[in-house]
Amino acid sequence: MKRHIRSYFQFLVAVTLLFSSCAYHPDVPDSSKETNCLPAIFPDYCNVTVPCNIAPLNFMLPAGEYSECVARITTPDGKLLTYGAGVKVQIPEDEWREILIAAKGKSIKVEVWGKTTGAEHGNEKSEWLSFSPFEIHVAEEPIDEYLSYRLIEPSYVAWNFMEIAQRNITSFEETQIFNNKMTSIDREKGQCINCHSYQNYKTDNMLFHVRISNAGTVIVNDGKVSKVNLKRDYTISSGVYPAWHPTAKLIAFSTDKTRQGFHTLNPNKIEVYDMESDLILYDVATDSVMVVCNDSTLLEVYPTWSPDGKYLYYCKSVPLPEELRDKDIRSYYQKIQYNIYRRTFDLATRGFGEEELVYDAASHDMSATLPRISPDGHYLLFAQGHYGCFHIWHREADIVCMPLDDETPSDIDLTKLNSDGFPDSYPSWSSNGHWIMCASRRDDNNYSRVYFSYFHNGKAEKAFLLPQEDPEHHTFLLKSYNRPEFMVEPVHISVDEFSRVFQ
Amino acid sequence: MNERSQWSMVHGQWSMAMFTLLFGVAVLLFFGMAYPHHLHYQEQYQLFLFDRNYMWEIVKLPGGVADLLGRFCTQFFLFAWVGALIISVLLSAVQLLTLRLASWGRLYGLSFVPSCLLWLFLLDENALLGGVWAVLLSLLASWAFDHLPCGWTRRILLIIAIPVLYWMAGPVCILFFLLQAPKRLSWYYGLFVLLALLPILLSFYLPVPADKLWFGIHYHRYPTVFPVILWVAVLSIFVLTLIARALHRWANASHRIVVALCSFVVVIAGMGWIVWKNSNFKAEKVMQYDFMARHQQWNRILDTVNAEKPNNPIGVTVQNLALAMHGLLTDHLFEYNQNGISGLFPTVERDAISPLPTAEVFYQLGMVNVAQRTVFEAQEAILDFQKSARCYKRLAQTNLINGDYEVARKYLMALQKTLFYSDWANETLSLLGNEEAIAKHPEYGRLRQFAYKDDFYFSDHTTSQMLQSLFLSNTDNRLAYEYLLAYCLLTGDRETYYQFTSIKR
Repeated sequence: MKRHIRSYFQFLVAVTLLFSSCAYHPDVPDSSKETNCLPAIFPDYCNVTVPCNIAPLNFMLPAGEYSECVARITTPDGKLLTYGAGVKVQIPEDEWREILIAAKGKSIKVEVWGKTTGAEHGNEKSEWLSFSPFEIHVAEEPIDEYLSYRLIEPSYVAWNFMEIAQRNITSFEETQIFNNKMTSIDREKGQCINCHSYQNYKTDNMLFHVRISNAGTVIVNDGKVSKVNLKRDYTISSGVYPAWHPTAKLIAFSTDKTRQGFHTLNPNKIEVYDMESDLILYDVATDSVMVVCNDSTLLEVYPTWSPDGKYLYYCKSVPLPEELRDKDIRSYYQKIQYNIYRRTFDLATRGFGEEELVYDAASHDMSATLPRISPDGHYLLFAQGHYGCFHIWHREADIVCMPLDDETPSDIDLTKLNSDGFPDSYPSWSSNGHWIMCASRRDDNNYSRVYFSYFHNGKAEKAFLLPQEDPEHHTFLLKSYNRPEFMVEPVHISVDEFSRVFQ
Repeated sequence: MNERSQWSMVHGQWSMAMFTLLFGVAVLLFFGMAYPHHLHYQEQYQLFLFDRNYMWEIVKLPGGVADLLGRFCTQFFLFAWVGALIISVLLSAVQLLTLRLASWGRLYGLSFVPSCLLWLFLLDENALLGGVWAVLLSLLASWAFDHLPCGWTRRILLIIAIPVLYWMAGPVCILFFLLQAPKRLSWYYGLFVLLALLPILLSFYLPVPADKLWFGIHYHRYPTVFPVILWVAVLSIFVLTLIARALHRWANASHRIVVALCSFVVVIAGMGWIVWKNSNFKAEKVMQYDFMARHQQWNRILDTVNAEKPNNPIGVTVQNLALAMHGLLTDHLFEYNQNGISGLFPTVERDAISPLPTAEVFYQLGMVNVAQRTVFEAQEAILDFQKSARCYKRLAQTNLINGDYEVARKYLMALQKTLFYSDWANETLSLLGNEEAIAKHPEYGRLRQFAYKDDFYFSDHTTSQMLQSLFLSNTDNRLAYEYLLAYCLLTGDRETYYQFTSIKR
C-alpha cells in the first residue's frame, strides 16, 4: 500500500511539474561518499556517442538499492544543470535540445549521485554516494528522425494484440501505423501483421503483410494504399521478407514455408526454420511476380538491394549431404548454414546476372543472415549465428560488419555494439550510414530492444538503448521490438485509412 | 396526506427495500454458491494493475471508465463470495435506479426486469462487468440530471454530458439520452445528431474498428460478439419506464403492498426460472476442476471425483493429475472414467480454457519449457487481448526454474502492481538469483531436479518417449513414472509397461 501511495504521490508531483511547465532542478548533495566506479544506471548511457538530434537520455538508478538520484550535466560551454526525482533522471525535451546544440561535435560531462536505501547496503542509515563522472559524446551526424517496429510478445504459435508503431527518435512520440484488431474478421484464428518495409527510408512507397484473417499485402504506392495477393501457382507462398528496390517500383521477396520447433531443454526455447524458400521479384505497377531463385534443394531468403539497385544480395543455405535430404529437417537443422550471395540486376531488362558468393559464413562454421548494405555501398552488415536463419532466438548471435571493397576483407570490430551471450540480430543502417541499429535481447534474454551504435571511419562505438521518457518503460514492457526500421519521415496514412483497403 | 396513507407509504418503502434486499441476496447466493467458478474464471483472464499507464490505456477509449470499474471489481472475483457481493450490489443498484424512473405501483415487479436481464447477461463467462457498470453509470447520470432544474443550464449540461458519458460508459449511454428526452423534442434532435456523430468522428481518430464505437468496445470478451442481452437490458429500462408512465393511473390505483409483492414474486419467479435455465452448470463444473488444479487442491479433487466420476475432458485430466500426485494413478486408473491418452495430455486448442489444466500437468511433471509455452499460448489466446494474473504467475515460476531471472523479474514486477498477487510477487522476487534458496524450495527445487537431461523438439518424440526420457532423467520423478505407466496401460503397450515396472523395482 505504501508503495502505491508513494507512486501516486510521484505521479501527482510529475503532473504538477508538467502543468507548471518547469523542470525540477535539485541541489547536488552537500556531502557524499566517493565510490570510484561508474553508476549502474539503466539504460547504460556511460561514455556513449549519441546523435545530435536524439531524444533526452533519461535514466535511473536501481530502485531497490537507491531512493534518490541526482545528475549534474556540464555542457561544453560550462553550463551546469541538475536533474533527478526519486531514482529517475528525466530531462525536459527543450532543455535537452539546448544541451545537444551546445555539445554538438563535443561531449557533455555527467556526474551522478545516488542515495542508498540503507537496508540494501547493510547500513541502517542511508547515505549519498557519488560515482565517477562519465561523458556522453554528441556526434555531428544526426540519426534518421523516425523508427518503426512491430510490438509483439516473443511468442510461440499464438499471438495476442500486435501493432506496427512508429517512433520519433528526436522526441518520445509513438504512434500506431496499424494494429491487428482493426480488420480481423476471425478473432479466434487471429490476425498477424508483419514485415513493414519502406523504399529508401521514405514512406510514400511502403508495405506490410496481413496474415490469416483478411490476409494480403498492403502496399502503399506513391501514397495510394492497396491490398494485393502475392501468391501465385508457381510460388511457395505469398511474399514474406521484403526489400524495395531503391529507385524502381519493384520489391524482392522471399517466399517461405516456415515452421517452428520448441526445445524441451535448450534455453533458446524456439527454433524457426524454413522447409522451403525461394526469391521472387514483384512489380508493383503491373502486379506481376517473377521468380529470382527457386532451387528446390536450397533455401534462399532475406533479399536486400545495394543502394544503387544494381545488386540483389540474399542468403542461401549451403548444400547438405545427400543422405540428409529425406530426413525430417529438424533432425539436422543445426547443420543448416547460410552464406551471403549477390546477383547483378539490370533494371532495363529486369534480368539477374550470375550468382556471386559475397561472404562464406559456412567456412567459419557459421550462418549469416539479414544482410544490409551501407548507404555508401562500402560495408556489409549482417547477423551471424552458429546455424539457421532466425538468430533472434540464438544466444550466440552477433552483428557482423565487413568492408565490401577490400579484396581480403576482415570483420570490423563490433564488440562495442554486440552483447556477450545474448541474441543480437536484425541490423540496419541509418540513411546517412553513421548509425547502426539492431534488435538485441541483452537486457533479459527474452524481449528484443532497439540499440544504436555510432559508426564512423569503419569503427563502431558503444551501443545505447532507444531512450524512453520513463526510463523504466523498457523494464515493464512485455513486448519485443520486432524488425526495427529507420525512416526519414513518418507514415502519414492513418490506421483508419489502412483499414479501408480491407473493406 | 392522512396518517393511514403516510404509514402505508413508509411501510411500502420499507417493503420495497426488503424486496431489493431479497433480490440482492438471491444474486449473492447464486453467484456465491451455484456459480463461483465462473467468477474465478473471469478473474484469471485479466491482470488489473495499479499503474497509470495501464489505466490510461483503458480509460482513453469510449466506455473506458465503465471498463476500468468493471476490471477493478473483477479482480475481487478471486474470492467468489466477494465477487458475488459486488454483482449483487451492482444489480440491486440498477434495480433501485430503475425504480425511481417511474411510479410503478402494481407494475413494481417490472423494475427488477433490467437487473434480471443483466444477471442473465453475466451468466456468460465472457460477459464483462464493464457492461453492467456502463448501464449503472448511465442511470446514475440520469438520476443526477433529474435533480437539476429545467432551463438553459440543464440544456447546456446535457450537451456536455452526452460526449462525456459516451466516453465514460460507451454507446450504452444512449440510455441516458433516452431517459432525459423532454416532452417537446424539437431541440433534442440536435443532441441525437451529436450522439450519432460521436462514433463517426471518433472512427477517424481511434485505432478501433468502427462497429465497436457503435456497439461497445469492451462489454464482452469476444470482440466479434454483439452483447444482445446487455442491449436488451438497456432498452428494457427505457421501454418498461415508458410502459409504467403510460399505465400510471391504472398501476397506482391500488396502494396495497400485497399487489406489489405479487408482481415482485411473478417477475422474480419468471426471471429466476429463465436465469436458472440459462445457467451453464456444465461449464461451471469444468471451471471447478480447473480452479482446483490451479490451486493444487489435490485432496479436494479426489473427494470430488470420487463423488461424481467426471467425464468431461478437463475433469478427467485434473482427476488423473490428482491421482498421480497421490501416487494412485496406475493402480486406480480404470476405476475412473478415462478418455484415452487425452485424459493424460489433452490436445491443446487455441483457446484460453483447455491449455491451462494441460499446462498444469506439464508443470508438475517437470516439463517446464513445455508448460511455459502452453501457458503463454493460453494467455495469448485471450480474445480481448488482456493478460492473465494466473498466467503471469506461472510464467514467472517457469522462468525462475529455468534460471531466466530477468524475465521472471518482469512478470513479478507487473504482479507487484496488483492487489492480490503483490505479496507473492515480493516473496518470489527475493528468490531470483538465489540458487540455494531455489534448490531448497519444495516446488522449484524439485522441478529443477526433474528437468530433462537431453534436449529434443517437443513434438519430435511420441508421448511415450517423452515420458520415458523424463523419467530416465530423474528416476525419483514419481509423477513421470505414474504417467508413463498410465500411458502404457491406456495404449496397451505391455512391453514398455513391464520394462519400466521392473526398473522401478
